[in-house]
Amino acid sequence: MADPDAPRSPFAPWDRRELPGLFTVEESARRVGHYAWIEMRLFEALGGWVATVPELDVKTTLGRHCYHHAWHAELWHKRLPELREMRPERLIRAPNADLEAFVAALTEPEAADLTIEKLVGVYRVLLPRKIAAYTYHLAATSRITDAPTIRSLGFILDDETTDWREGEMLLQALVQTDDEVARAARRQAELEVLVTRAGGIAGPGSLGEDRPGSDRSGSEPTVGAA
Amino acid sequence: MRRSFPAEDLARDGRFRRARMEDRFEDPRNELVPAGRRGGKLTPERPDAAHAARQLMHGIFVGEIQALEGAGRTVWDFDDDEAPFALKLDMARQCWDEARHTEISVKLGEWMGTEVGEFAETAFLYQAACNPDPVLRLTGVNRALEGLAIDVFNTMREFGLASGDPVLSFCEDWMLADEVTHVKMGSDWLRRLTEHDPERRERALEFQRVVDKLFSFRGFRGEADDNPIQLARTFRRMAGFADTEIDEIADLSEEPV
Repeated sequence: MADPDAPRSPFAPWDRRELPGLFTVEESARRVGHYAWIEMRLFEALGGWVATVPELDVKTTLGRHCYHHAWHAELWHKRLPELREMRPERLIRAPNADLEAFVAALTEPEAADLTIEKLVGVYRVLLPRKIAAYTYHLAATSRITDAPTIRSLGFILDDETTDWREGEMLLQALVQTDDEVARAARRQAELEVLVTRAGGIAGPGSLGEDRPGSDRSGSEPTVGAA
Repeated sequence: MRRSFPAEDLARDGRFRRARMEDRFEDPRNELVPAGRRGGKLTPERPDAAHAARQLMHGIFVGEIQALEGAGRTVWDFDDDEAPFALKLDMARQCWDEARHTEISVKLGEWMGTEVGEFAETAFLYQAACNPDPVLRLTGVNRALEGLAIDVFNTMREFGLASGDPVLSFCEDWMLADEVTHVKMGSDWLRRLTEHDPERRERALEFQRVVDKLFSFRGFRGEADDNPIQLARTFRRMAGFADTEIDEIADLSEEPV
């Protein structure tokens, strides 16, 4: 039996987490506010589209995914007061007008014969952008001080990846002809232009580039650097 | 995408056939049935039990699709001032539940020997989910229609038990648990959103009574042996209905529309 008087670190021998991270409390809150905003817009759109798609498998998948993104929005809502934002609605907003324009374009299709356009927007443009921004957050923030955000990111990324795969497979099943391939590609290009202008779901710097003070090399991350 | 989506535009594949509610009500064959009475409680002893159960299961299936669509529209149709974020979260959860019920009921339909499109679909359930006031919509859908779903699922669950079909009774029991939750959601939001607006609450309850009455048409639902759908008092109490409310619904089956 181990000696109960022997000193032990609070970190298990295999636990290699370190304190430094790229995000301040304020930066993490800013990003979380943008995440909540895009999750809300997405779950609302998926809910609205359920009635507009004739394909039963798409209908039930959108219903299921609608709840996933609502739950993500709820997790981010709850996180904001923990990040010292006592008026969460102040931060729950689009990072810029370009992302608002992207969401307006994303949610525009309604007709029953536009299922491909609806799915391409969500599963070939938005979800990959969300997975990218969340993965960057996971890599960049302090694994000790921002652990509650990391825990939520883990759950959310698991959902996002699974949902992206399901959506992509639905698209592959629906896109059958040369014309449909062209439609899907055209729609993807239109929306990629808009989301690229926005800089991603958290605006410029969604993936860590082009933000003052960010450290892209990862060699010297400092606590409190924003 | 529009903020309001009419029932006529609900998207369906080529297997579905739409019937008008008016045609159902005005079907001259109803005149051959004594007022207030239909084919009787759904039991294995009924000569038409297999057909009636398949028809009811198909009705459940299309009802679940419309419930999914209705909950989804409530998530989209209202801005945050009209419908609080927490209400939308509940409706998103209901989307998932109704999507699951759609999957369950299509598989049960196959199990029972029916297929998509064998019976016509009316869009009345979804029409109740088109009310422009979110409180009336929630009350009509989550208290009247989800309450009806409690009665239907319990009737089907008992039919499964009586006919020795464990798959049917097992699945209906699971769906019944979800419906009790949905009714509780409706009651909770009715109370919260009309706390300081008794006039709006009364309008919502009146809307619920109208919907309840339509689904008690010609004794479709009640507590007598000859009502096909039996009122599930115990589960309704569990969902938060007062006994007086359940009594009112029981009385509706005896009233003309």
